[in-house]
Amino acid sequence: MRELNLKKWIGPSLIHLFFWAFTIASLIPFILVFMVSISSEDSILQNGYSLFPSHISFAAYQFLFNDFSEIAKAYGVTILSTIIGTIVSLLITALFAYPLSRPELPFRSTLSFYIFFTMLFGGGMVPWYITYVNMFDLKNTIFAMIIPNLLLSAFNVLLMRSFFASTIPESVVESATIDGAGELRIFFKIVLPLSLPIMATIGLFNTLAYWNDWYNCMLFIDKPELYNIQYLMTKTLTNIQYLLMKSNSSAQVGDLLAKMPRETVRMALAIVGIAPLLFAYPFFQKYYISGITSGAVKG
Amino acid sequence: MKKAHQLVLLIMLCGMLALTGCGKGDSGKAADSGTTPGKNAATGEKGKDSDSSLSPYKITLVYPATAPKDLQLVQDEMSKYLTEKINATIELKPIEWASWDDKTNLMKISNEPFDLMFTASWFSYPKDAAKGQYLELDDLMAQYGKDIPGVLGDDFIKGSRIGGKLYALPTKKEFGQGFGFLLDKKLVDKYKFDTSGVKSLEDMEAMFKTIKENEPGITPIVSSKFTNIWEASNYDGIVANLAIPRDSKELKAVDTLEDPKFIEFYKLMHQWNQNGWFDKDVLTSDADQGMNMIKAGKAFAVAQSLKPGKDKEMSLSSGVDVIQVETAEPFTTTGDAQGAMLGISRTSKDPARAMMFLNMLYSDPKLLNMLDWGIEGKHYVKKSDNMIDFPEGVNADTQTYPNPGGWMFGNQFNSYLWANEDPNKWEEFQKFNDRAERSIALGFAFNQEPVKSEMASIANVEKEFGASLRSGAVDPEKILAKWIEKRKAAGFDKVKAEVDKQLAEWAQTK
Repeated sequence: MRELNLKKWIGPSLIHLFFWAFTIASLIPFILVFMVSISSEDSILQNGYSLFPSHISFAAYQFLFNDFSEIAKAYGVTILSTIIGTIVSLLITALFAYPLSRPELPFRSTLSFYIFFTMLFGGGMVPWYITYVNMFDLKNTIFAMIIPNLLLSAFNVLLMRSFFASTIPESVVESATIDGAGELRIFFKIVLPLSLPIMATIGLFNTLAYWNDWYNCMLFIDKPELYNIQYLMTKTLTNIQYLLMKSNSSAQVGDLLAKMPRETVRMALAIVGIAPLLFAYPFFQKYYISGITSGAVKG
Repeated sequence: MKKAHQLVLLIMLCGMLALTGCGKGDSGKAADSGTTPGKNAATGEKGKDSDSSLSPYKITLVYPATAPKDLQLVQDEMSKYLTEKINATIELKPIEWASWDDKTNLMKISNEPFDLMFTASWFSYPKDAAKGQYLELDDLMAQYGKDIPGVLGDDFIKGSRIGGKLYALPTKKEFGQGFGFLLDKKLVDKYKFDTSGVKSLEDMEAMFKTIKENEPGITPIVSSKFTNIWEASNYDGIVANLAIPRDSKELKAVDTLEDPKFIEFYKLMHQWNQNGWFDKDVLTSDADQGMNMIKAGKAFAVAQSLKPGKDKEMSLSSGVDVIQVETAEPFTTTGDAQGAMLGISRTSKDPARAMMFLNMLYSDPKLLNMLDWGIEGKHYVKKSDNMIDFPEGVNADTQTYPNPGGWMFGNQFNSYLWANEDPNKWEEFQKFNDRAERSIALGFAFNQEPVKSEMASIANVEKEFGASLRSGAVDPEKILAKWIEKRKAAGFDKVKAEVDKQLAEWAQTK
């Protein structure tokens, strides 16, 4: 009897142990960043990075919040582009995916191939840049952080198309047509409400993609008041790396390095940058999980 | 009924695709309006002296820096001043160091109009010049930049040429590189080390030995950077360890990896490493880390390329007193002459006006100091004629227009000095420039394009061996043999042939 109990325990506790170890391994780097950000600069010079700093100091945060307008503006830009981007992107993706899911659409396979093709081949960096800068004049506008690369992902369209095709029975659409509903009404009143799970999933993908994007900002934005929060952080860290790389070539570059933000400030900046998403994540996750399960039940 | 369905579905799709379609329609117009370079240039030529005849023009200056908060204010103030002088306004366009390569490459390729751009030998100047990104400046300078040759002098301009042609103008700053160490001042005072004059390697060894023996917690030297310094002070490096020895009378590249002097030096470094004089992270540690360790009281010396007053500058920025000691006389190579320059872009719509602006950066202290330090009374206050300080209540952390880098623009000798700097700084610089020995290859810049792929593989080989050689961790003779062998396989002979060819060609134009 006892032996049986033991056997019952071993399996789960091994699994638990594994996941505990895994969780801790994922958390430690983050905690380290946080602890460094509240260490005093001297203790870092003396002992290096430590999970248990000898002196606690909030000087780095004081330095950051001394002039918070830069960070606040960057947050504004990120939040604005994330919200607009997610909503518009979701709408466009659905508007593309839905017709593709309907068998009576003419040229259906051609159109599917058209979107699928973009997954395999791209035009290359330079034409891509020239299109957005010279043709659409997106440089130094907030649209540069919304439209290029992020607005429509072929993968998401195909994902959504399969969802529509497999979970919306054709009879539902037919009966709505018999009741006199037009295509738009069918789409917005019947198909969309039935597809909340996929909407939540792709919405989450989009939100994360927009929130984490710094590349577009780096390429298209020159004006510091339009920097988003991710770029604000990335540039501080990459500036230092870049200058280190070049410091053998020019004496002046070495001088510039000495003026860069101190270790603690860099870490504090990282914390300030991820904190909001960290709090937002559990909220999203609730929808994410319920989305997946509700999809499963219906399927 | 079914037809109607299909129609609506198609329309939904078309609506989406139309987005792309519309944009393409506009593109033709935008491109057309962007390419009318001749027009403004012609009006600019009318007359330099009668400024009122110049049509208004906006000069765009692109340089690497983090955009300061008060950029707009300073830009407006500069524009006001420039409107009076050359009827121009200015747009300052700082680009983050980290995104510089990506961003400016795309700007260049996409024909974006801008006038002046920062460049340097370590910042793709030879490559861009070869591609024709920058305009030739000799004629423009003769017409609109008459003050510049007088300020810079012949050597500076000669050093900036590529294939005999001038594509960018260098900043007047220190002309040459000094070589040596920064030492912790506390320890120098404690052991009464003599730091005047040029020290030999034996002199330095005596210091490190003293520290090692008497200060158990202190690392004598941080980082392997001294090897870079030593190489730069003994060779005018070209590429792939090909270099012209400093004392060479002949314009001929030697392979440093097989040079006896080079091997001797690395044997010595191996010895230093065995003595335990380096820090334990010597493979990866850099000068920045060295300063931090000195600050923490854990290290004695870190190698640095020097210029007059370097120790004072570093003491101020790092908050620990250091003192500099030279290990070689200053040396001027093409790299130093091309250390910081401004070029006029081929996409400039009015190169003449850009040159007038450049001329002012060299000759008009008021304009230069506005760019360097901002607005008087707001960003700085004058202490005396050319000495300035922070206004009350402002410090390095709260300033709203930190200096973008005075060494990037025009005549740095016209730039104001801070109250805590040496008032004779520029005189010292002048002396330093006169003292610096010119390399016989001054003005030669190697064009890597023909051997690009070989260069990439050689760089990979260097990555494999370079760090361990520099740290002195291994016996140099063993590692050099392997290095030379692998480098040969990577196409070294072709590179050497190309170097010899370009050197010979350059010698002809001299």
